[in-house]
Amino acid sequence: MDIRRIAVLGAGRLGRGIAENAASKGYDVVLFSQGAGGQDALRRIENSLDRKLARWAITEAEKRVILGRITFTLDLKELSKVDLLVEATIDHIYTKQELLRTADQLCQPDVVFVTTSSTLKLSDLARSITRSESLVGLHLIPPVPEVPVAELVRCHKTSDAAVEVVKGFAKRLGKEVIEINESIGLVNPRALLSLINEAAYMLDEGVGDTQSIEKLIKDSWGMVQGPFEMADRLGLDLVLNWMEQMQQAYGDRFAPCPLLYRYVRQKRLGVKTNLGFFSYNQEGKQED
Amino acid sequence: MKIFVLNCGSSSVKYKLYDMEGERVLAEGRVERVGQENATITHQSTGKEKITKTMPILEHTVAISETLHLLLHPEHGVLNSLDEIDAVGHRVVHGGESFSESTLIKEDTKDILDSLAELAPLHNPANVMGIRAAERLMPHTPQVAVFDTAFHSTMPSHAYLYAIPFNLYQKHKVRRYGFHGTSHLFVTQKAAEMIGKDIKDLRIVSCHLGNGASIAAVQGGQSVDTTMGFTPLEGLMMGTRSGDIDPGAIFYLMKTYDLSLHEIDSLLNKHSGLYGIAGVSDMRDIEKKMSEGDRLAQMAFDMYEYRIRKYIGAYIAAMGGIDALVFTAGIGENTPSLRTKLCQNLSYLGIELNEELNQKRGEPLDITTEDSKVRVFVIPTDEELVIARDTATIVGRE
Repeated sequence: MDIRRIAVLGAGRLGRGIAENAASKGYDVVLFSQGAGGQDALRRIENSLDRKLARWAITEAEKRVILGRITFTLDLKELSKVDLLVEATIDHIYTKQELLRTADQLCQPDVVFVTTSSTLKLSDLARSITRSESLVGLHLIPPVPEVPVAELVRCHKTSDAAVEVVKGFAKRLGKEVIEINESIGLVNPRALLSLINEAAYMLDEGVGDTQSIEKLIKDSWGMVQGPFEMADRLGLDLVLNWMEQMQQAYGDRFAPCPLLYRYVRQKRLGVKTNLGFFSYNQEGKQED
Repeated sequence: MKIFVLNCGSSSVKYKLYDMEGERVLAEGRVERVGQENATITHQSTGKEKITKTMPILEHTVAISETLHLLLHPEHGVLNSLDEIDAVGHRVVHGGESFSESTLIKEDTKDILDSLAELAPLHNPANVMGIRAAERLMPHTPQVAVFDTAFHSTMPSHAYLYAIPFNLYQKHKVRRYGFHGTSHLFVTQKAAEMIGKDIKDLRIVSCHLGNGASIAAVQGGQSVDTTMGFTPLEGLMMGTRSGDIDPGAIFYLMKTYDLSLHEIDSLLNKHSGLYGIAGVSDMRDIEKKMSEGDRLAQMAFDMYEYRIRKYIGAYIAAMGGIDALVFTAGIGENTPSLRTKLCQNLSYLGIELNEELNQKRGEPLDITTEDSKVRVFVIPTDEELVIARDTATIVGRE
């Protein structure tokens, strides 16, 4: 099937990033969200494009074309008109299963489903739908338009044909696809969470202050962001949610650092609340 | 002999059908928005009504197939059978060092063109798509590739090499290639014809000034230097491209703004040139703003003119003199004020402009007075005709 129109379920940072990336590569995108802030998604995508415009990465005309390709809706019936479905909601097994079941009933039978889940087992999600052979895992990392690689995962039910469709989609998004075996946490979240958690422990134990630990890790290994900034940009609530799911799967080696609980309780969630490990202004820039 | 010329861009297909006896255009048209549901086809057979259609055209094969249907159309067409087409000539932007002249397309030709995609990522893949599509639709018709870079393959090494480690040229072929070759070839040949001398005896500076712009120094009918380089970014100030800039300024900007390769590439290709200075990229808009007293539009115009003048001077030095100066393409053909200013500033060469002739449009003209020591021409370019001529020559030879 020629894929021209895609659905993105979820208008959080990941969903918006996928929508923007796909629209900039010529796909028509229908963005669905029933969560808080979903209505705001188009404005936030426009803000993201404005930031690119200010950095000369796109032109005013390109911005208009990209925005023109994205529509936002609350009406799931629109799913009957899409050629590919990308699910990018928060990793919660029952919510995701329910959403996928609904989409399964509404989408055309030959539509391939993509899930961006990283801490849930693909086979558990596949079980909830009739097209279980057409569900493929694709882990995209925010900011989606800028990150050049993606982890692709299949379970024992996944068909080669569905994998080929998703590889083609990811390639058109500009991603190098690396196929890995099914595992909770995949490669990136699993490695990243360990790093963030250990950095949080070091901070909690007073090994160094936030800036020192961040700079040592970031500059020593040539990283664009250190563990604290990465956590702040992901959202500490999301990090904690992932950690808890990983703890269930792997035991105490993923036990969240108490500091993470404290920050989440205090609503220090990172960029979205302007305060996490670091402080941020309204544009999401780190403040000294 | 009937030759079908195709110029495939990433989302467009332009075509012309020639009868090479008398080089008559039998039909021409273009398909725009290829890849979309609302693609448009504009077609006109000579002497017949112009038609426009909107329809979904998702790929180049469909676009070309539709144009062929129109050529065969009982009312709007000019052919009874596709067998009447003797050959298809394709515009290919980058031939690298592999192709110094037009060539009959064989299986390995496409592989080499695919490998050149990195050098012209916006153009070559679309050109190859067009070749493959035409082959599918006309499997027994010879296909010929005509390269924008080929005309400049006569440049001497001292003109095409960059002063960077030589092994980078040997290993990666990083060098000046030049573009708009078919246009420079067409207008300089036409100028020689209008002067009435053998082109071998002439030194011509050819200015192709469109949204993309380049100048070529053509001595004895051969390109000896040109302003565009490894990519079409070097040289003159253009609509949205910077042209020449100190690479050090690029490093500085990348460092200051923490710019990625994509961002700096886009800055120099899409946000610079006339647009970067004046906020508009079309010379007609620049002229309108200038007439309203816009200081930045005036500055952009002055910069644009100065850079052209500077290169004309450089190429006169390169050739040891000049016999003719030629203007072509959108801005070159349609902006008399630019030609006036350039010629005034070059009057020390003995150029004398005939301002009345300078205001005329649409036909090849010598716009100088009889006393002018250098002839100045405005010649509408016809790249498709060059492609058709080369295609006919190659097919005739085979």
